[in-house]
Amino acid sequence: MVSSKRRKIDHHDDDNNAIYAGGLYKSSMFKLQVDEMLAEVQPNYEKRAGVIDEALRTLKGSIERIEDREGLSILEATKLLRKSHNITIPFPDPKPDENAAYKLAYRKPSNVNVIGSYALKTMVRSENVLVVDMIVKMPESILQEKDFMNYRYFYKRAYYLACVAAGLQDAVYDQFSLGFEYQNGNSLHPILVVKSKSKVKASSESGFAINIIPAAPEAFFSDSKLHPTKNSIRPKEVSENATTGHAPSPFYNASLKSDSNLEPYLKLLHAASKQSAGFKDSCILGRIWLRQRGFGSCLSKGGFGHFEWAALTAILLKGGGTRGHNVLSPGYSSYQMFKAVLQFLSSTDMASKPHSYEAPSDFQPLKSDSPMLYDGPRGQNILYRMTSWSYTLLRDEAKTTLEMLNDAAFDQFESTFILRTDQALQRFDCLIRIPYPTQTIEEFSGDHVISGAQFRRRLFEVLREGLTDRVKLINIQEDVTHSWPIKSSAPSSPEKSSFLVAVVFNPINIDRLVDHGPSAEEKKKAAKYQKFWGEKAELRRFKDGSILESVVWSPGSSYSVFQDICTYLTMRHFGADVSKSLTFIGDSLQTSLPSKGTSSKAFEALKQAFHAFEKEFRDMESLPLQLRQLSAISPQLRYAAVQQPNFSPQQPMNNPADVLIQFEGSGRWPDDVVAIQRTKVAFLLKIGSLLEDSNSDTTTRLGLENEDHPLQNCAFLDVIYESGATFRLRIHNDREQFLLERQVKDKLTDNRAREDAITALSIYKRVFVQLPLLTQSITTHCTRFPLLSPSIRLMKQWFDRHMLSRHISEELIELFVARTFVQPYPWRAPSSAMSGFLRTLLFLSRWDWRSVPLIVDFTGTMTSKDVASITMRLEAWRKIDPGMNRTVLFAASNHDAQGTAFTDGGPSKMVAARMTALARSACKLIKDQDINLDHRSLFASSTTDYDFVIHLAPKFAHGEARKAMKQKFKNLELQSEADLELVGYHPVNEYLQELKRLYTSSIILFHSATSGPIIAGLWNPQIVQPRPFKVNLAYATHPETDAANEEEREIKLDQSAILSEIARIGGDMVSRIEVFHQL
Amino acid sequence: MSKIGEYTILPLSLPPTTAYPVPATHTLYLRPHAPKIPTESDSRSLFIVNVPVDSTIAHFKGVFKSLIGAGRVEDVRFEHEQRNVSSQPPTQALVVMSKKEKNKKRKRGEEDPVEIDASLPQIWDRDLLRSGSTAVVVLVDEKSVESALKTVRKLHKSKSKDDRWPVWGQGVEGKAPALGSARYLSHHKMRYPDTAILQKNVDAFMTAWNHNEDEKARSAKRQRNVPDEDGFVTVTKGGRIGPARRDDVERKQAELEEREKKKREELGDFYRFQMRERRKAEQGELVKQFEEDKKRVEAMKEKRGRFRPER
Repeated sequence: MVSSKRRKIDHHDDDNNAIYAGGLYKSSMFKLQVDEMLAEVQPNYEKRAGVIDEALRTLKGSIERIEDREGLSILEATKLLRKSHNITIPFPDPKPDENAAYKLAYRKPSNVNVIGSYALKTMVRSENVLVVDMIVKMPESILQEKDFMNYRYFYKRAYYLACVAAGLQDAVYDQFSLGFEYQNGNSLHPILVVKSKSKVKASSESGFAINIIPAAPEAFFSDSKLHPTKNSIRPKEVSENATTGHAPSPFYNASLKSDSNLEPYLKLLHAASKQSAGFKDSCILGRIWLRQRGFGSCLSKGGFGHFEWAALTAILLKGGGTRGHNVLSPGYSSYQMFKAVLQFLSSTDMASKPHSYEAPSDFQPLKSDSPMLYDGPRGQNILYRMTSWSYTLLRDEAKTTLEMLNDAAFDQFESTFILRTDQALQRFDCLIRIPYPTQTIEEFSGDHVISGAQFRRRLFEVLREGLTDRVKLINIQEDVTHSWPIKSSAPSSPEKSSFLVAVVFNPINIDRLVDHGPSAEEKKKAAKYQKFWGEKAELRRFKDGSILESVVWSPGSSYSVFQDICTYLTMRHFGADVSKSLTFIGDSLQTSLPSKGTSSKAFEALKQAFHAFEKEFRDMESLPLQLRQLSAISPQLRYAAVQQPNFSPQQPMNNPADVLIQFEGSGRWPDDVVAIQRTKVAFLLKIGSLLEDSNSDTTTRLGLENEDHPLQNCAFLDVIYESGATFRLRIHNDREQFLLERQVKDKLTDNRAREDAITALSIYKRVFVQLPLLTQSITTHCTRFPLLSPSIRLMKQWFDRHMLSRHISEELIELFVARTFVQPYPWRAPSSAMSGFLRTLLFLSRWDWRSVPLIVDFTGTMTSKDVASITMRLEAWRKIDPGMNRTVLFAASNHDAQGTAFTDGGPSKMVAARMTALARSACKLIKDQDINLDHRSLFASSTTDYDFVIHLAPKFAHGEARKAMKQKFKNLELQSEADLELVGYHPVNEYLQELKRLYTSSIILFHSATSGPIIAGLWNPQIVQPRPFKVNLAYATHPETDAANEEEREIKLDQSAILSEIARIGGDMVSRIEVFHQL
Repeated sequence: MSKIGEYTILPLSLPPTTAYPVPATHTLYLRPHAPKIPTESDSRSLFIVNVPVDSTIAHFKGVFKSLIGAGRVEDVRFEHEQRNVSSQPPTQALVVMSKKEKNKKRKRGEEDPVEIDASLPQIWDRDLLRSGSTAVVVLVDEKSVESALKTVRKLHKSKSKDDRWPVWGQGVEGKAPALGSARYLSHHKMRYPDTAILQKNVDAFMTAWNHNEDEKARSAKRQRNVPDEDGFVTVTKGGRIGPARRDDVERKQAELEEREKKKREELGDFYRFQMRERRKAEQGELVKQFEEDKKRVEAMKEKRGRFRPER
């Protein structure tokens, strides 16, 4: 078995084998895409090696020629370098004692070598220049064995580096520029960054930088003294030989150890790449995966980068499993190896249970909440730069990705490797900017600390303890350190006065008002709880009889509860200074929703009214036919309307909620669609009188619609309850579909009648088949995901503000947002309206609707076959209609494999392109402004792109004609009769629909229901060209005035006549028509 | 200048409104009416192309009054009215006819012994026309047609710049229902008609429809027994009880096909060669799938940056 796998991998470019790649890769499609990507990201080594190798040779030669310096005291050394080269030695904090007895010296390095991904050829093209690591190994002669103590080694290292800098400055000053930098943000590890000075090569594609890293000789310092449990920094007053009784210094020890491990790790990785063919590629995959998630070796990026990934993979190839077995087999393909490493990361908790590989027998793991993977042969914890929060985040990402890769139905290539997931507002629900306290609270802990780290850690612990299961993740974003010129001293850190805490909510618990603590009887725990919460903790007796310590918060939105807790906690533990200057980022989007933000009370009220309505039907005995079911189809009845349905006895709902009623089948229905429609009138009249009889406070009114379309539903019944709840009832008869289909298929029907039947059929399917199903699915998912409803409403608002809501149906928008929740990858399902909204925008900006269908798998039961057949259907459509005149967007779901239920009537190609363009510019804004984003800018829209704008009279703006009427006739307000008459009266909508019908082929109209009182229009660009006279043109024309010859006279779209007509039709509703572009 | 093809050009001047204060004209194209199927009124009719959307009879009366004096317009037929009548299948024609047409075309109901008013009540107080549509204006006599066209030609030659053209909407005040919010308010009221009227409508419709159905059934039955002129008897479905409903037959057929198909599938893996073939087909499917995937990836590759991780 193994050998056959090997064979395949050896020729893994061979197409014949790729066909059967299902087992080794996710699918053949996935493998092909991975191959393409690997080819794409690989820098062109051959092309670039020449320049880089030349530079490396020059540097190596120059370094080897640097003259030795005899031992100097620290004071002398500092002075000398400043005088001769104006270089400040990058000593780490705390700075060395100037009177120290030991001497600093420089001797020729014992070795100069290139390491890292350049040597292994596992680099990836990125926006940054290629970075090549070169080590300069210090000779043993200038070090002493006890140098590991009290920073002495690091002082000597800094001096050594400064000497190299001085030497290079003399030798290659004209070719290269030099700067210091902390390697991976670790202030113990200053390095020298060398960049080419020639301007031609400054562009990112061909530029490069060389890191010169001083290294310690291998096996010079004793392994056992640098175990994570040992201490190497002694307080000054204690004598040096008291090894016990000090807190361990794992970070310091590992930093030192890693300096002597640079070359051994190169050897390890090299051996692994020789041992396993898939190793290198799997490292590149891992590197891309980490980068897209914002991870890097840098302390500020979580301390887990491509080096850690490669080292982990190499170790897992040798062991790390149960009883020392290797976790990875050398025969794995690159993808298998990548996935297995993710599996290892997600399933092994290396923080609560430190992990070690071939550790020596005297090794004792250190108990702490940071992760540990102790690499025995090299004596170092590979994960020493990680914090407990970055480790949690990494594991969470690994788990999510594993789920993604196990998704059998959908190809998750893009979300695994292409998408960037580290955009703060898309990834997290709330961010808090927290200032560092003015007076330092840092105390000596026994280990080297990066400044600010201690405060961050304490804050993290306090938040974690205080927020408990309200949040899923807490992440702290640390400072990025920058390079500095060799002449000045290192920038004081932290560079900024504040940092960010990012949080992912647990939507079920986030707005909980009461936290239960330990029982009063558990004295110790209770005391601890009281100490943590201070005066906020109180003893309460609960319904079940238990008496518990508890904390109570005042009710509000999830954000307000969260803010209260964070403010209180920082106040109690870090003082008022800190808590007063907290800035919360992320709640502003919700507040832009109309009527009470995210609360769903109004929806619930309507839902209850609907249940009462339904019950009334069930109890009704004299119905002409047996009731089968009553189904809701209104967005108001599925938590998805932008405006919440507010109603009261004085003010009934202005938009009746649509409901369908279906009776048990009966042979007595006529055998003709038109006759069925008319029979419905009789039924509705009967139902109306039954409802009014059973409850005298109910008003019913039968209304007519679709007057020009006899095949479509012609009547509805408005039922207005005394409470103000209003429903619009239509009868569903499933014979209609059959009869219409027959009419479509019938070869005898003429073209026009067939067109009518096709339209009627499509409307029937949407209203009577798809809408009830969609309503059910959306309702279910709104209960499953509490944040789905506000996200949908935000998204609808966005479409509306950009005046696209008349083109893109509400149902389609709901599908967009539902996709973000049921197929949330590369993230988890959104836990705030903000992330739900922003991720949907991201999806829209990236959606290539020309060739990719939108597929929403509500139940998670779709198979790859279903997905393939939907994609095939799209491809077939595109072949039939390459100009995309009929169907542009494809939105399929479990209920609708056709994918056109909600996109049949639009949007057009132009509107779809505008949607994409708007989403793209929104996403660019989100990316550029990051956390400083002002949410209003996402919703701002300009009218200058349109050809003309119809300004509505303010009285009719917002579709609130009723309110306007009320102000006019104060006395009418008291008579509820007048109110009922006007239920469902929307003059602006009627006006728009009429304009749309009259000018179908000449004007595209845009309108926003919630914002400005305007209607914007575009002339159809296809008809603005003059053309020869013809009788049946579908738009008004006038003759061209400047025609030379009467015979060839052409006619042209008559814009001013049409605008004048529009003004006449609008009458008192239009205040002004503004023309921007005359075509 | 005054003609385009066979059509005479008649610009109408549109009075500026507060919302659109730009003086504008609307162009009508006129010619004597000459339809494919001639009628008796053709010689005194004008065919007009590109009528404004808010046209009513009153509007045209106003226009012709200013051209050739009052009282010359007998009737105006708009495009959508003509189309509705001509292209509906017979069962629907009786339903869709609006009240207005029916007054004119009552004759259509000839076969029906029952006089019916089965159309639903009107829900608009006034029709608006599709942009760029046509109309036929019937004048009182042939001379009026002549003189109207002549006046238009004369107007083209006249020197006065501004006010030579008929003004659209002159003298219409009060003769046509108002537009604007009043129109939509009245529509909103009209779309909820009185229940008694509705009930009567539906009853009438159902009576007529049932009568129609009976008639159809009877004629089908008759066809079964009566030889046609060539001496053949048409065979229709159904036994003694009467012809079966068409859809029942279709449903039965579909059911049978379904059963047949199931039977065929159940016996799929009976012979070894069937299994072999199936396996082969699966293999072929896999290869085909791979080829398709490859093509798809190729296509993606053409869109640059598809495989480059985002930055």
